[in-house]
Amino acid sequence: MLHNLFAAEWLKLRKRPLAWALLAAFLGLLTLYLGLWALVIALQDGTLSGGRLRVEVLSAAQTAQIKRQLSFPGVFGAVLGQVNSVGGILAVILAAGALGSDFGWGTLRAQLIRAPARGRYLLAKLLALLLALVCGVVAGLAVGCLIALVAGMALGLPSSLRGGDLLALGAGILRSLYVILPYVLVTFVCAASGRSALAGAGGGLIFLALDVGAGSLGSLGMVSDAVRFVVNLMLQPNINRLVVENAALFGLDPTVLASGLDLATLPSLTQATLVVAAYCALFGYGAWRLLARRDISGAG
Amino acid sequence: MSTKNVIETENLTRRYGARLAVDGLNLRVGRGEIFGLLGPNGAGKTTTIAMLLGLVRPSAGRALVLGHDVQADPVAALRRVGAMIETPAFYPYLSGYDNLRVLALAGGLPEVRIAATLEAVELTDRARDRVRVYSQGMRQRLAIAAALLPDPELIILDEPTNGLDPAGTAEIRALIRRLAAGGRTIVLCSHILSEVEQLCGRVAILKAGRLVAEGAVAELLRRERGLRLRVEGDSSRAAALLAALPWVRAVEQRDAALLVDAPVERAAELNAYLTHAGVPVAEIGVHTSNLEQFFLEVTGDT
Repeated sequence: MLHNLFAAEWLKLRKRPLAWALLAAFLGLLTLYLGLWALVIALQDGTLSGGRLRVEVLSAAQTAQIKRQLSFPGVFGAVLGQVNSVGGILAVILAAGALGSDFGWGTLRAQLIRAPARGRYLLAKLLALLLALVCGVVAGLAVGCLIALVAGMALGLPSSLRGGDLLALGAGILRSLYVILPYVLVTFVCAASGRSALAGAGGGLIFLALDVGAGSLGSLGMVSDAVRFVVNLMLQPNINRLVVENAALFGLDPTVLASGLDLATLPSLTQATLVVAAYCALFGYGAWRLLARRDISGAG
Repeated sequence: MSTKNVIETENLTRRYGARLAVDGLNLRVGRGEIFGLLGPNGAGKTTTIAMLLGLVRPSAGRALVLGHDVQADPVAALRRVGAMIETPAFYPYLSGYDNLRVLALAGGLPEVRIAATLEAVELTDRARDRVRVYSQGMRQRLAIAAALLPDPELIILDEPTNGLDPAGTAEIRALIRRLAAGGRTIVLCSHILSEVEQLCGRVAILKAGRLVAEGAVAELLRRERGLRLRVEGDSSRAAALLAALPWVRAVEQRDAALLVDAPVERAAELNAYLTHAGVPVAEIGVHTSNLEQFFLEVTGDT
């Protein structure tokens, strides 16, 4: 029964223009991000002027970090980093559209008459959404690889790709989806609560902004261990730990380009995994509870 | 539940804060019936239907559909139920075919049903067009096709001819009759009472969430048969004289006429009685009601 619902959700999602527009936006922004770094390196190394003019604005460590992002296997970390930043925002919008539009268009009624188990409906929607995100990540990786190949040739960047990097890539993709999951689920809560895509997108994006803002409280962890314990129960420090670990898989160090990030105050990988799981469980239960208990009315 | 009944509700109640949307409703809809569920706007029809379809949770009481409690076992209750509630709702970016495919997939129904239902509502030619470009009438047909997807034993149709042109309306009415002739049970909500009168064998009328009338259409209208007369002079005296007769069950003043609940074959006797009492009768005839008049009377909207 779940596979039927999943097939229905996948059909809705893959034919939805919003999904393709968000994918195009993600790939466009990713190209812009990597392209700008390639331009910076070209200016820094004087590649564009044949070595006559060098614009040195970055430290040697920053330059090396960017070069790693533009070559294999570092480009994988760069793409997954973008998945967890701009991709998270786009995932919230897609999730809001996926659930909220069923309320807004009134299609939820017809769907629940045919398949009344609301928990399964929500799970199928989540699984279809995650599959769409996997497709988006894979497309992003393809674009990233293309840019790395072009940039590598143009800028003469050293590259090496081993079998272990591809294994790490699988783990990295899963971890990047795990980082997005709580935001997708909190978007479901907001969409079910407000019964609209607008409520879902608004609530999800506000939560995301507040959570990222709360990340700046991480420095309070230096006050004492007790304060650090409390701060590290918030979502953002745990998300940061997972993102840092993902970058490290491909030899990147995010603190080089993001000086505000203090690795010493971040929670352990185990804690981060468990705390994010707890938030996912909380938001997932909230979304299911709201959907299961609420009256399903017509189009909004 | 009786095996004859496709729908049974027991004290079905839905409260929104202080307001009772549906108040202790007890309904029985038998197998193979075309049953009309009527009421003015806000009477509780849609809430009742939504409770029958598991979309709204009752505050009290329960609803049995095809022998299953809708709250306890919605999957079993709704497996062979098709429904169209209020405004047809579809994914505007999908074609008519794909909209039905979504529902077929969700319900685990064979996709071969899609072509058959599209054929039944004559939408096959436009099935690949996006719903965004459909007219209201086409959406209405698509909603009926969606209701027919599970090869339903029970079909609930809320305003099925809304937005259809006269030819489309006639086709849908014919389709409803065909479906009922095939042994399906149909619950029809419509504000077009002539349509209900043509199609439905039995009706229930709701007002402010309460059941105010229920029965076979012919029986309800027969109760409304009587004599209608107009007298010269004091009609209130005529009403008092008539009320004193043992075979007159009720007398009601309506506009300039008197409606007398009495056997129509005693019209001549009644005429002679009033004339003898000094109240000349200007006009006398048989009073019959249609469903619309009956509806307006029982809902107090006259």
